[in-house]
Amino acid sequence: MLKVRIMPTLLYRDFELVKGVGFDSWRGVGSAMQAIRVYNMREVDELIFLDITATREERDPDFELIDDLADECFMPLTVGGGVRSLDDVRRLLDVGADKVAINSEAVRNPELIREVAQRFGSQCVVVSIDVRKQASGRYEIFTHSGHRATGVDPVVFVKEAARLGAGEILLTSIERDGAMEGYDLVLIQQVSEAVDIPVIASGGAGIYEDLYKALTIGNAAAVAAASIFHFTEQTPLAAKDYLYSKGIPVRF
Amino acid sequence: MKKVAILEYGMGNVDSVFRAVEECGANPVITCAEAEIKNADCIILPGVGAFGDAIQNIRQRRLDEMVAERVLDRGIPFLGICLGMQLLADKSYEFGEHRGLGWIRGEVVRLQQDSPSVRIPHVGWNEVCPEVDSPLLQGIRPGKDLYFVHSYHFVCERAENRLATTPYCGGFTSIVGEKNIFGVQFHPEKSQRAGFQLLRNFLAL
Amino acid sequence: MEKHIHYCTRCVMPETKPDLHLDQDGVCSACRNFENRQVIDWDARERELMSILDRYRSKDGSNYDCIIPVSGGKDSHAQVIKILELGMNPLCVTASTDMLSEIGRQNIENIKNLGVDYVEMSVNPAIRRKINRLALTQIGDISWPEHVAIFTIPIHFAVKFNVPLIIWGENSQNEYGGPAAAVSDQVLTRRWLEEFGGLLGLRVSDLLLEDGIEPKHLIQYTYPSDVDLQRVGVTGIFLGYFIPWDGYANALLAQAHGFTTYHKTVEGSVVNYENLDNHQTGIHDYFKFLKFAFGRATDISCLHIRRDRLTRVQGIKLVKKHDGKFPWEYLGKSLEEILAPLDMTVEEFIRICDRFTNKKLFVRDANGRLVKDKHGNLTRINDDNS
Repeated sequence: MLKVRIMPTLLYRDFELVKGVGFDSWRGVGSAMQAIRVYNMREVDELIFLDITATREERDPDFELIDDLADECFMPLTVGGGVRSLDDVRRLLDVGADKVAINSEAVRNPELIREVAQRFGSQCVVVSIDVRKQASGRYEIFTHSGHRATGVDPVVFVKEAARLGAGEILLTSIERDGAMEGYDLVLIQQVSEAVDIPVIASGGAGIYEDLYKALTIGNAAAVAAASIFHFTEQTPLAAKDYLYSKGIPVRF
Repeated sequence: MKKVAILEYGMGNVDSVFRAVEECGANPVITCAEAEIKNADCIILPGVGAFGDAIQNIRQRRLDEMVAERVLDRGIPFLGICLGMQLLADKSYEFGEHRGLGWIRGEVVRLQQDSPSVRIPHVGWNEVCPEVDSPLLQGIRPGKDLYFVHSYHFVCERAENRLATTPYCGGFTSIVGEKNIFGVQFHPEKSQRAGFQLLRNFLAL
Repeated sequence: MEKHIHYCTRCVMPETKPDLHLDQDGVCSACRNFENRQVIDWDARERELMSILDRYRSKDGSNYDCIIPVSGGKDSHAQVIKILELGMNPLCVTASTDMLSEIGRQNIENIKNLGVDYVEMSVNPAIRRKINRLALTQIGDISWPEHVAIFTIPIHFAVKFNVPLIIWGENSQNEYGGPAAAVSDQVLTRRWLEEFGGLLGLRVSDLLLEDGIEPKHLIQYTYPSDVDLQRVGVTGIFLGYFIPWDGYANALLAQAHGFTTYHKTVEGSVVNYENLDNHQTGIHDYFKFLKFAFGRATDISCLHIRRDRLTRVQGIKLVKKHDGKFPWEYLGKSLEEILAPLDMTVEEFIRICDRFTNKKLFVRDANGRLVKDKHGNLTRINDDNS
């Protein structure tokens, strides 16, 4: 049977990897090459690599960097950040990305999702959305690394994205991100229920039990996490041991 | 060192396959040139994207003819990966109806949910269960997880071409084979130890 | 995509240093922390230190009052001298370094002669070399196992000898900058170790993925259990929180007590009084340069600039002259000799260097390849703010 996936996420800014809390208070966590090599050594299920300032700085993805990193990466690699065109996708796939995550541009121009899916196949399109929970309790998608409100409801949007050909959804809760106090299970559940494509939950993992809940209560197909692996002694492998002991199918 | 021609036709993660083959100790070259294909000890056809575009690109570059000569006539080992496996079929129904290389009898159709909770595309690690003893799976535990990412699958016309299956959407064929021609639905170059073992097995043929 | 490296306008640290921030005046967080020292009530801190020491001092002299992790270096000397002055009976613990130099050995013996009980814990060298090699190839840090050992072995002894108080030297996050929350933190918890111990994402459990390394080989690298830590009540303090820390002052104090310095400037540095014990340190510092575009010369210059012993202009010149030189030699041993026990050639080493170099920070040719001079040295894209 299909196994759940644990995906360490690497966020890249300027010269180094960073990690924040609520998409703010960014801290440096070392060099990208080092992280790629460690995760490669650990044979993690997949890796997500996001350039978090490309869109706001209106610049292209760093193809050269991805080329170097992809050379060291023998597991599936999803790359995102500043992807705005078919050409960006093509170039990223060429330098070694297996899947491309599209965030701000997918909301601004959903047609791009269809274009990419038709040209390169749904399986390489990950539509990534960052979501804030408003005071009213309603959810709203924000783009540009959490800086721009869109007024768009995530459940409505993911249905559209799936219809247009998205292969997977990467769903991040902005306020949970980096807090290490658990995922937003309600959000994950709502989005997972809305589509038939895999949903990757992101934002909030602090202990292994959080991953378990996102996969069961949230019904996510995979969990993405960063802070838990950067700042604590917990590792993806030990996380799998935990999940396995709770009856979740994991890959060893 | 074995010379491996990794076919370039504008669609496919050639770089990843190149790196993996290199790590496995062979001598890869990314190419669509006749001379290099003639010179190769074995051939790999990667593939990411849609069937229609892929087969069109292949025919445009005359890769089908050049490779047929080496693979069908001379019998050198051939490995199709993911879309590269699907291209071996007679036809595919992805976005219309397309004629494939036809080197292994069968058709490519969309995966169908066998229960409401099943998600498509099939993305992630899943078990590869051998139907017969195959040199490709030497040293790989039956049921080992390898990495899949696809929405379509290959339905073999003949049972003897079905070398391994994977339990998803009612079960589908994950490895096809006909003499020296092999196709794997998963990505061995992304499946770490088990995937590399499979590549080494292929390179040792 | 040529970026410009921004440097602190006060010292010469580049913003590429992990966890360093330049504020709106372009001043780095380490300089700001140093500024804050003026407003600290050091008398109060000293009193706090005394009360902590009083709490942990043995009532009847039947056990040690504290553990001091020492390397034999200038800071170790200063720590031991100070703690003895304050009337404590310490057990000094050294987690032996990878490739102890002659001068390192002399200085260790010198500390013993200050009048202390001393434990030198050395680990299986065959395993250690495997780990050095693994750490160098996988994360570009040959000193990773030494780093882990420094933070783990003293804790083992604290547990084994039932001595709860461990007295470290400086909180490395304080003088050198770090996330704001950690700056005032003077207690060493397991969580602190993971976050700030510089483990670079590699965990001891990763070592088990390597052939020939089993749990039984990693006893000294494995942090004691929370149960043991609770039972003994192990706690750590940083002297650098209670006393205004100054590496150079420590060097003077140490030299007055028999500490031996190197006969010339240490390769890649600008002084002769620190990093004298381990031949592998040159490689460690070089990789810092490759990843973040600053090396030991920058570190030392910044410390002296903050204390007005050097001007910024002098610092820039010293850094240009000494920083980031390819480590052909360290403390008189050649690179080949240093790499030999790791079963590595210089060619392989150079490939690993290139792998971990952040190419964006260095001058490259039209094809994007790093430009190296005839000694293999790289050049940073800019050495100062323009």
